Parts: sequence; C-alpha cells; structure tokens
Amino acid sequence: MPLEAETSLGYIPPDGGWGWAVVFAAFISIGFAYAFPKSLTIYYKEIQEYFSVSYSQIAWVSSVMLASMYAGGPVSSILVNRYGSRPVVMVGGVMVGCAMVLASFGTTIFHLYLCVGVIGGCGLAFNLQPALTIIGTYFHMKRPMANGLAMTGSPVFLSALAPLNQFLFDSFGWRGSFLILGAIVSNCCVAGSLMRPVNKKVQPQPKTEPDESNDAEKMLVDNQAVESLDEGKTKGCVQKFIDVSLFKHRGFLIYIIGNVVMVFGFFAPVVFLAPYAKHEGIDEYSAAFLLSIFALVDMFARAATGFIGNMKWVRPRIQYLFSFAVSYNGVCHLLCPLASGYVGFVIYAVFFGMAFGMVCSLLFEVLMDLVGAHRFSSAVGLVTIIQCGPVLLGPPLSGALVDIFGDYKYMYYACGVFMLVPGIFFFIMHYYNYKKLDDEQRQRLAAEKRNCKEAGQFNMKQDETHG
Amino acid sequence: MMMQQQCVKRVGAAQEGESYFPLAGGHRLIFIMPDSWMHLCSLVLLLSCTHINAKTVGQTSSPAEPVGQLPADVRSVVLKGQSYTAHVEVSSPINLTLQCTWTGSGNKVDNVTGYWSKDGEDIDNSRSTLRLENQQFNLQRMFTIKDEESLGKYTCMFGNEAKIDFVLAVPQISDVRDKPIVSYVGDSVVMVCKMDDAKPSPKTWLWFKVNHTEKEEIDATAEPQRYEIKMDGKVTKLLVHNLTHLDSGLFHCGAVYAISTAMSHVELKVITIYEPLKPFVAIVVEVLVLVAVILMFERSLAKKRKAAGSSGNHVGDTEHATNAAAAATTTTTLQAEANGLEETTSTRQRKM
Repeated sequence: MPLEAETSLGYIPPDGGWGWAVVFAAFISIGFAYAFPKSLTIYYKEIQEYFSVSYSQIAWVSSVMLASMYAGGPVSSILVNRYGSRPVVMVGGVMVGCAMVLASFGTTIFHLYLCVGVIGGCGLAFNLQPALTIIGTYFHMKRPMANGLAMTGSPVFLSALAPLNQFLFDSFGWRGSFLILGAIVSNCCVAGSLMRPVNKKVQPQPKTEPDESNDAEKMLVDNQAVESLDEGKTKGCVQKFIDVSLFKHRGFLIYIIGNVVMVFGFFAPVVFLAPYAKHEGIDEYSAAFLLSIFALVDMFARAATGFIGNMKWVRPRIQYLFSFAVSYNGVCHLLCPLASGYVGFVIYAVFFGMAFGMVCSLLFEVLMDLVGAHRFSSAVGLVTIIQCGPVLLGPPLSGALVDIFGDYKYMYYACGVFMLVPGIFFFIMHYYNYKKLDDEQRQRLAAEKRNCKEAGQFNMKQDETHG
Repeated sequence: MMMQQQCVKRVGAAQEGESYFPLAGGHRLIFIMPDSWMHLCSLVLLLSCTHINAKTVGQTSSPAEPVGQLPADVRSVVLKGQSYTAHVEVSSPINLTLQCTWTGSGNKVDNVTGYWSKDGEDIDNSRSTLRLENQQFNLQRMFTIKDEESLGKYTCMFGNEAKIDFVLAVPQISDVRDKPIVSYVGDSVVMVCKMDDAKPSPKTWLWFKVNHTEKEEIDATAEPQRYEIKMDGKVTKLLVHNLTHLDSGLFHCGAVYAISTAMSHVELKVITIYEPLKPFVAIVVEVLVLVAVILMFERSLAKKRKAAGSSGNHVGDTEHATNAAAAATTTTTLQAEANGLEETTSTRQRKM
C-alpha cells in the first residue's frame, strides 16, 4: 500500500508538549516586536529637546522603525526558509540589543534613525516572522489557540513596558534607559533558544480508507494539499528562498487584497482615540485611561478568540470568523461618533478592544489556514512588505482628514468604511473560495478512489500471474 | 477725584474656593457662592455697567509716577459665606481698585466696620462704617501696584465676620517638572522653563544656580563654552555643556516682568555611565545564563534520546529513514524547521 501524504507537512505536529514552551517564546518575541516601538515614545520629548529638533523629526524614528520592521519581513522569511526560526530570532535579538546600545551613545538624530530605526526595526522583523512561523510547525489542531495566546504578547508587553520605560527615564535619563532597554530586549535571544526545531521523525500514520479519517481534519488538510500538489512541480532558484508562486494562490490573493485596504483604517483609530476624547472635552488622564481599558480588553479578546477559533464548528470555517471580526471593527468605528460623554467613550473602547483583539488574534491564523504552515513563512514575508505602504500612510492620512475637517468623526467614518468594505469582501470571496475548495476536494477524493480500485485490480492481476 | 466709567464685561468662572483672573484691559466680576446660588446670581449680576466714583486714595508711600499715567483695573468679589480668596495676576504697574460686596450674615445687623489690611497688617485710615444698601455691604479701595512690595495679600474685612483675600502676584509658571533631569558626566543637558500660553510673555528670562543655599545668577556671556541661554517669548532654555558632578543641584529660572520676577526651578542630577551599566550587565548575564541553560538542557535530552535509540533496534531506524524520505518526496520543500542543533537527523530529511 503506498503511503498517502495526509498532511502536506509530512509529519504530525505535536500540538502540545514542547509546543507550549514555543508559544511562550513566540509570546515574548511578538510582544517585543509590536510593543517596543510604541513604548519608546515616552523618551521623545527629552530627546527632542536634547537634539533641538521638531516633533515631526523625532516622530520619524517611529516611522523608520515601523518601515524597517515591515520591509525586513521578506528578508526574514528567506532566512527562516533557509535556516529555521531559532537562529533568525537569536540574531534578531542581538541586533536590537546592539542597536539600542549604540543609540545610547548617539550624538545626532541621524544616529537614532539608523540605530533605533533601521537596525532595530530589522531586528524586530527577525523576531516577528519566525515566531509566527514556528507556531505553525508545532500546532495543527490547536493552532488558533496557540496563535491567539502568542498574539496576546503585544498588549501585555505594552502594558508592562510603558511604566517600566517611565521608571527607567526618571532614574537614568534617555541614554541610560536606551542602554538598559538594549539588555532587556536581548531577552529575545532567550525566546529564540526556546524555539527548538520540531522533531520531524514522527511518522504520519498510514490510512487505508480515506472515508475513515476525521472529516474536519480532512477538510483542513486538503485545503492546502490541493493547491500544493499542483504547484509542487516547477521549482526555480527563487522558489528555494521565497515562494512567489503564492501570487497564483486564490486564498492568498483574497487575503492580501482585503488586507491592504483594511490596514489603512486599522491603526489610526487607536492612535487618535486619546486626542479625540480630549477634543470632546474629556481630561487628559481619563483619555489615557481609555487606552488602558482598550489594551486590557484587547488582551482577553485575543486569548478568547484563539479559543473560539479552535472550536469544532468554527475551525473549518474560520475565514468567516475573521470576516466577521473585520466587519465588526468597521461597524464599531462607524458608530463611534455617536459616543457622547465619557461613558460613551468607555463603551466604544471596550467594543473596539474586543474587535481589535479578534482581528489581531486571527490575522496570521487565517493566513496559515489559507496557504498552509510550510508556505506561511514566505506568505507572511510578502504580506508584510505589501502592507508596508498602507501601515505607514494610514495614520498621517487620517491626521490629514482630521486637519481638513477639523473634526475627528469624519476620520472615524472613513476608517469604518475602510474596515467594513474588506469585511464584506472577505465574506463573499471566502464563501466562493470554500465552495471551490469543497468541489476540488470532492474531485480529488473521487480520483483517489479510482486509483485505489485500479491499484487493487493491478495487484490482483499480479497475484494471479505469480500465483 | 476721578470719575471712571467701568463696564462689567464678563462673568468670571464661579468655582468654590479660589479663582484666578489675569489683569488686562477688561473688568471681571467674580461670583463666589457656596452652592446653587451660583447660576442665579450670575444671571442677576451679568453685564451691568456701573458708574463708580474712584477716590484716588493710594497707599502711604508716594508713587514714582503720577497716578493718572498708570492703567486702571477693577476686581470685584461678591461674598455670601465667610471667606474667599481671589488670585490676581499683575505683570506691570497698575492702579487696581478692589471691590468687596458682602450680603451679610443674617444677623440683621445694620452697620459693620469695614477695613483693609495688607499681608496681615491693617492699613491706616482704611476703617469705615458700612451701612446695608440693597441687602449688601460694599467696600472698595484703589491701590497703586507699582513694584514688588506692592504685591501681596490684600484683605477687606467686614467686622470680624467675613473677609475676602486678594492675592496679587506675578503670573506663575505652572508647568514645573517635579522629577530631576538626569544627565551624564561630559554630556550636555537642556533645561526648559515655559510660561503658560494664556499668560503674558515676560520681558526677559534669568537663570540662577543654587550653590550651598545661595542663588547665583548664571552669566552665559562669561562662560560661553559651558552655558548657553536661549529665550523665545514664553520659553527659555539653559544649555549646560561638559557636565561635572558639581553641576548637580537646583537651577532656578526667573520670568522677569515689569513689576517682579516669577520663579520656577529645575533639578539636575549628573551621574556617571557606570550607574546604568550595572543593571545592563546584570540583565545581559541573565540572558546568557538562560540561553546556555536552555541549550544545554536540550543537548542532554538529545543525547539521552540517541542513547535510548541506539540501544534499541537498528532495523526500526532504517525503516524510519526510508519512510521519512518517501514522505519528504511527496510533499513540497520543508527545509525550514529542519535546521538547528539536531543536525544529524534533520539533514537526512532536508535532501530532496
């Protein structure tokens, strides 16, 4: 009996055991990657005075860092494809650590752009992609849960880094703080050391009858297997580094088109929540507290969504959950201008926190679901570099909207539309995609049954001739 | 005797306790009510032009310039309770008329002795007997505020029962940083003092260093390599270069107005690079130790597995190898996670 490749991975992922240590390691890496750039803004005022530069010049440090993080995505993917997650994360940790230490001795603002912005951003990119990729290798059945838990790192680290940075700043000034932050962020190397490459010696169990297997698993598995078998034939030099054939992948195209539009309206509402609240007459501390509420709800929403995504009746159709999350975001923003008074804003912060957490938790899980764990590394690299533009343009464009109209509500309407349209697009396209995948799977099963019958007949003939 | 026509232009903010009002061209009427009378009285006393005879009774000291050349302003307070404090900002010499109105204590007393005091000391010739007019006692006096000594706390007293304090002061710098600025030996530092946007701009700024409880003015022109003072309206910056430990301490910035100087302070702390270096080294050591522990633990696990595997059947191993190769050929490339410390076993799978 010839062996069938049940999973396109070629082995059964542990779905536990050391996998949870890997989830913890990914939690650390993802936490640093997302929270670190945001938490540095505490130092900007003093650095601005020290170098005698304007606020927009200092804000460039954040932009350069974010741009490097997104642009470094494909490089990171290539390295992960070649060397695995562990070395890349450790190199990334060392890079960010050195970048911060060098920055602490900086004498001009350009030093900061180079060290914190370029090198730091690249190092964080080397942390983010491998962390996401390695979860896909360790988990299959419990992958949404693992992804959700790992993505919780971002709000947790942000909540921890903000007061820590304030304390460091008060004790050591910005130079000493950068030095110590360099040491703290090198803990990514510890996370990297935990990312043990998964043991692939475990055998996929041979199955005689396809009908006996678990329906849900089959559906999950075959969504990726069908696509991969078609494209497995031609492999050029580029393919070994990054999988450009992804652009022919239906699911990937749906994801990336929706994503590009969605990202325009994704981050701006967070950035402008506090200023909008202040504009509506709420005092500074209460406005800051809104962000804390948002971060707290975000934390729990990510873990909860991971759990929901794992449930038996949600998992096979997880794309619908993601589409719902994106649309829910859009609806939230469209309703935000109706918020009146502090209570209205608190309610909005809670709902927005839930929506944001849901989307973030599922963001990479649905990509894994669409392209499969083995192509995820290349996919996420391509996605991040294409997202680079909208991510950088989103907040300034929103800021421009606010300046033109003099009111925040038009910006929120725009963001709502930018999230609702992709949400509906996802719903429609994934309905069509699921139908297509089901059709292809049925065809494949029929073809396999025919092959089995023919093989059985051939064997019988051989036995007859021999016997 | 001067007749001045004054129009009450705006209603001031009615808050419990104290209120701050900058002195500019307009007149402000301050309402101080214990509770809900606030809104009612503000409507009643709104926008009425009052004709007031201002008697030119100045202070005991003779003014440097004729009283008529100074600008004039009025501050009025209506008191319902027992006491109230109003803060008045004065940035240049002015003739200030302070008006106190008291609604009485409910004792149905017809007369009360009203008098003025400055900083706790009674002002001579300020006592007068007040009669109840329209259920109110009115007391007012014009003061010439021309120098720093004229500033202070002026109190109008209604007998021993009620008083209203007017605290006259230069515009204060409210944006004070309570935590010290930390900088390093050999580095430079920028210290900033900022006057609120709503308040008038000072004429100039001065910086002082506190040396053993003595305030010494910093002269930037005397030591241009060390000190640099920049000022731009409401903002001033002191740059200190080549810091040493002796530079640690309190620095005072003064906003100089025609009448006086408003002071604020900034604390500087100068430390060496060794201070943050200690936690830095500690954390780096922690990272190295953890990485080493984790990798060594993994290596010992791998050795145990190899030892267990080799002592078992070799046949099983070869079967594993062939099956693994077969599985690898039917799938797309998976070089990714195969690398790492488990070199020996994973290289087999990597070959396609």
